Amino acid sequence: MKTAHELRPGNVIMLDGNPWVVLKTETTRSGRNAAIVKMKLKNILADTTTETTFKGEDKMEDIILERLDCTYSYFADPMYVFMDSEYNQYDVEAGNLGEAAQYIVDGMEEVCQVTFYEGKAISVELPTSVSREVTYTEPSARGDTSGKVMKPATITGGATLSVADFVKTGDIIEIDTRTHEFKKRV
Amino acid sequence: MVQIKSNHWDIFCSVVDNYGDIGVCWRLAKQLANEYQIEVVLWVDDLASFNTIQPEVDLAATTQQLKGITVNLWREPLPVTYIPGQVLIEAFACQLPAEVIQQLVDLKQCGQGQPCWLNLEYLSAEAWVDDCHALPSLQANGLNKSFYFPGFSRKTGGLLCEADLFTQRDVWQADSGNRLALFAKLGIEHCLDSDRFISVFSYETAALQALCDYWQHSATPIRLLVPLGRSLNSFVKFFNLDNHQFCAGEHWQKGNLHLHVLPLTDQIGFDRLLWSCDVNIVRGEDSFLRAQWAAKPFIWHIYPQDEDYHLVKLDALMQRYCANLDPTAAQAWQQLSLNFNRDQQKASVESWQHYVDAEEKLNKHAKIWPISAIDDEDLATRLVHFVKNS
Repeated sequence: MKTAHELRPGNVIMLDGNPWVVLKTETTRSGRNAAIVKMKLKNILADTTTETTFKGEDKMEDIILERLDCTYSYFADPMYVFMDSEYNQYDVEAGNLGEAAQYIVDGMEEVCQVTFYEGKAISVELPTSVSREVTYTEPSARGDTSGKVMKPATITGGATLSVADFVKTGDIIEIDTRTHEFKKRV
Repeated sequence: MVQIKSNHWDIFCSVVDNYGDIGVCWRLAKQLANEYQIEVVLWVDDLASFNTIQPEVDLAATTQQLKGITVNLWREPLPVTYIPGQVLIEAFACQLPAEVIQQLVDLKQCGQGQPCWLNLEYLSAEAWVDDCHALPSLQANGLNKSFYFPGFSRKTGGLLCEADLFTQRDVWQADSGNRLALFAKLGIEHCLDSDRFISVFSYETAALQALCDYWQHSATPIRLLVPLGRSLNSFVKFFNLDNHQFCAGEHWQKGNLHLHVLPLTDQIGFDRLLWSCDVNIVRGEDSFLRAQWAAKPFIWHIYPQDEDYHLVKLDALMQRYCANLDPTAAQAWQQLSLNFNRDQQKASVESWQHYVDAEEKLNKHAKIWPISAIDDEDLATRLVHFVKNS
């Protein structure tokens, strides 16, 4: 058991029979030195997020979930199929991938972490950065090379994001998967 | 099978220290019953403290009716059966009895829902309250609970204030005879309306010792009206009263400074005292709010916290209170409040002098502040709306 005050982003807790990932915590002080902890949580099974408040001393069950390094194999609607180093396959529901799904593309080589809950693969965590090809972006309007001027771009898999003005169609770019921000041209 | 009673609210109050916890809960209970015709059950674990602010409380009764409210003694196991109602309030984050929680779990498992369960938090003027008010608090057992934060903005749960309070106050203050009659009733003799009356309901502080030293030389008599209890501790040294057992009605004098020892009073009596004094020195949460409603300048002796965090809370209040106040007057009041709470002796005296210079503006501001602070809806009104919409 951990108190709400002890929880950190990345911890997984059980509430109402559901596992929740702690995404964000903010601690403030109420009266008589009592701590109030505001959290953003993600329901692993429902793939929903919620904001919630706890007393600092509220106790909750933190759970350690099994994780395996896997690579993406193929999509068998509605399941994404991943494979570990021993060629075991794991199916993850498309709805559980959330925003990660936009970076899952055929032939991707990045190693992902598949999370298991009670033996079932429930979510996939991408590496913090991935490299993808820009499939379309408008040509540079002003010839800006500073990287401060941004424009929209579509990448392999169909996702769109803002990229530096100097990026061209066909370039490979690095993206931060936590913030969905363009990092650099590879 | 137990069913949820509609229009029935339970308030659980654990008295940690002094009279603030029960003071707030009792006011809320009375207001909900009087203004919204809600059947309120107030559970209290310290009837003696309650008895101090409401002398009709029977110390031996496990259940009793007071002013239309059922008051139950909170002991574990509960001496009176808890029957789930529409709303369940845990005041100031108190830990509800395990048997109450179990009843809620049983109800929910039977598919009968659960009461609207609220943690009524402490009052704070800090900005973070806006973002935390009314957020759910997911419970491991599947029950739903929400945090309810009193506060000074529209995004918070509001401030506790009875609908007719300001009218009562205005009627009282319109006739100076009321305050002189009150002082006479309290045994304060030979006083004049022109004397400066200061009520003191504070924690111990060296700042008061220094202020007393200064006040004794005042051209105008200064009368400190101090109820029995810890507020008197700050005056023991100045009046050489070590080991003295104070009694209500006592009068001590040094120079032009008078110390009048008052009996502890009920809530109406306390309000009238605040309405009648020129300055009120208050503490905690309940008396702090009542001092604001008194429309008189006040010094808030805030509950001390670790790492001086109380000064952050004090600053948040000062920023709000001074937003529309003349800058010179604001600075005088803020410096006095800050120095008083830092136990600064010399600086408290200096800032008192600046306070007196700005008193006219501070008096005017104190009169308009309550209306702007309430901002249309008081806490009970917002709470009833919150429950209705949840």
